[in-house]
Amino acid sequence: MSECIVVTSGKGGVGKTTTTANLGVALALLGKKVVVVDADIGLRNLDVILGLENRIVYDLVHVVEGSCRLKQALIRDKRAEGLFLLPAAQTRDKNAVTPDQMRELVGQLKEDHDIILVDCPAGIEQGFKNAVAGADRAVIVTTPEVSAIRDADRIIGMVEAAELPEPKLIINRFRPKMVEAGDMMNKEDILEILAIPLLGVVPDHEDIIVSANRGVPVAFDEDSIVGEAFRRVSRRISGETDVPELTFDQDSGMWATLKRWMGLGPAREVAR
Amino acid sequence: MKDIINRFLGRSQKASKEDAKQRLKFLLIHDQVDLTPGQLDQMKAEILEVIARYVEVEGSENTEFKLEKGEGHVALVSSVPVRRVVQRAKAS
Repeated sequence: MSECIVVTSGKGGVGKTTTTANLGVALALLGKKVVVVDADIGLRNLDVILGLENRIVYDLVHVVEGSCRLKQALIRDKRAEGLFLLPAAQTRDKNAVTPDQMRELVGQLKEDHDIILVDCPAGIEQGFKNAVAGADRAVIVTTPEVSAIRDADRIIGMVEAAELPEPKLIINRFRPKMVEAGDMMNKEDILEILAIPLLGVVPDHEDIIVSANRGVPVAFDEDSIVGEAFRRVSRRISGETDVPELTFDQDSGMWATLKRWMGLGPAREVAR
Repeated sequence: MKDIINRFLGRSQKASKEDAKQRLKFLLIHDQVDLTPGQLDQMKAEILEVIARYVEVEGSENTEFKLEKGEGHVALVSSVPVRRVVQRAKAS
């Protein structure tokens, strides 16, 4: 059965687009037929993160306005079997599309694909309403910061008001060393406040910048810890229930061993 | 012991994540009822004015008005230390 998942956050700049791209890649690598939809009309970026910007001819607005067929607008990612991108229009605004049109579009996409991932624009207005219109469930991306968590809380309320099931959380830009020093909220702190189930924690890492520079999502990189974080999240999204939690044990020098021995933490699971 | 070593390691300051957590909890409750901390202060001042007509309030710095999260609702919790009843006869 096909389903549509909207990736949203409220606040901008927390990593929604990066998350959507990487989950799309990781889900396709699991053998799913995936379409990632850029719903950020006027500010498209999912194409660049995926490195597919040079292949755009038609976009989402062309499709809903009937100036091209859906299949003409879908860009096939040759690196991952089963992955497609439906790009946003760059020169239009959010009002070029209505929630009803989005619902119909998602319905059409479901005919040929297992998972439709919608990259929601920041904010709570028209763009958000369009992005959630066709969704069956939502994934909330946040970072361990006061502003991002506040906005996530608001968005959780709006997702529930849109009568979607309880959303699940991805904590992005996690910095184990700062958590260890007590200068960043940990997983439990955030879950205590937001009170929704966790899909996974994604560490803050240089790999993300490099992969965005190259247009190659880090989920393709088998050696990357961030790539692994996204791959595990995607396994949980696809229904696997026994995916082990990722640990970020960067602190493995002699000093860390000494601190552990003295009872100063961190224990092996630094991600706590 | 842990504290002493932490202090030695230069970690004597309260972890800033605790500030983040406290501020967030406070913020989310106020967001939920759509009442800013400033409005709450104003309300507190007005309520105290009314209370003062009946009882003598023991120093406004000891009074407490805050929003607390309960099960599925937000409660306004207040504590107002009272010294004695105002002489109503004189007032009226």
